Amino acid sequence: MKDMPQTVFVVDDDDAVRNSLRMLLKSAGVHAEVSASAQEFLSTYQASQPGCLVLDVRMPGMSGLEMQHELNLRGATIPVIFITGHGDIPMAVEAMQHGAFDFLQKPFRDQDLLDRVQRALTRDADYRARLRHTDRIRERLASLSPREREVLELVTQGKANKMVAGDLGVSQRTVEIHRAHVMQKMEAGSLAELVRMMMAVAS
Amino acid sequence: MNANSNGGIKSVRTIIVAGQSSDRTREVLRALSGFTNVIWPTSLESALAQTNSKDAGCLVIADDLREEPIDEFLQEARGLQRNLPIFVITDPDDVAEAVSAMRHGATAVIEIPPSYAALCEEVSRAMQ
Repeated sequence: MKDMPQTVFVVDDDDAVRNSLRMLLKSAGVHAEVSASAQEFLSTYQASQPGCLVLDVRMPGMSGLEMQHELNLRGATIPVIFITGHGDIPMAVEAMQHGAFDFLQKPFRDQDLLDRVQRALTRDADYRARLRHTDRIRERLASLSPREREVLELVTQGKANKMVAGDLGVSQRTVEIHRAHVMQKMEAGSLAELVRMMMAVAS
Repeated sequence: MNANSNGGIKSVRTIIVAGQSSDRTREVLRALSGFTNVIWPTSLESALAQTNSKDAGCLVIADDLREEPIDEFLQEARGLQRNLPIFVITDPDDVAEAVSAMRHGATAVIEIPPSYAALCEEVSRAMQ
């Protein structure tokens, strides 16, 4: 499946700010979509869309901080960069405590924003890549039989085939066969790789 | 947590204060004088050792640290104790410093002045 392109979503009620940010991001080769209000953004945003969000704190109607709460309730993981002309420490702390990626005070240098946007896009891409990786591992786990799953759990605890056979009340040869199936279905090249896979889905 | 015979707020766990020898650090220590088990280690190494102790209740970074930048110290402390409440005192309106502290693992940033009431409230909550 081809990855969706990354988009920088800009939500700000100020026309001039929206337009200047759109131009700035376009000049940096970044695809941007702008919205004039939180409601407008939320009505169309899909959590599957990769990218990041540049969000004004103070807007009429739903504020930026309220919109962040709403996104959190929806389970969205998009990195949020807050921008504000009237920021104070309690506001910044609240935004960061609720998972904001960054908090920038206006006026800011164009490059400062572009640097933060780039870091936010990288974080989102990394997060989505990890998610795809763990999803693939879970799919492989689901293909194991109950007995193969038992063998997997015991061998990734560091138990030798002989001990696994004793624990499960089967012959060592049977364990070897199940173990080979586990390695094949999990597409693991070594026991260490298998352990790393289990740690990835456990975290 | 309960009141001791001196009227202080008795806490089993330790409140660790990190900061250089300055007026700010002394003010923080004074503000926390209602709590027992407040310690002010003589070095950052010692503060990190206390932070890593099972008795650590919270860490307060009261002022600039002479030996290393606050962000680096925060990261080290957070690396030792993932869930330990860590509070950073900053000058008023220094939003950039507050954001940086939050990014590096602070639980909350408290600006001083106007008062230390917010700090005492946060510490009380943390010690519960």
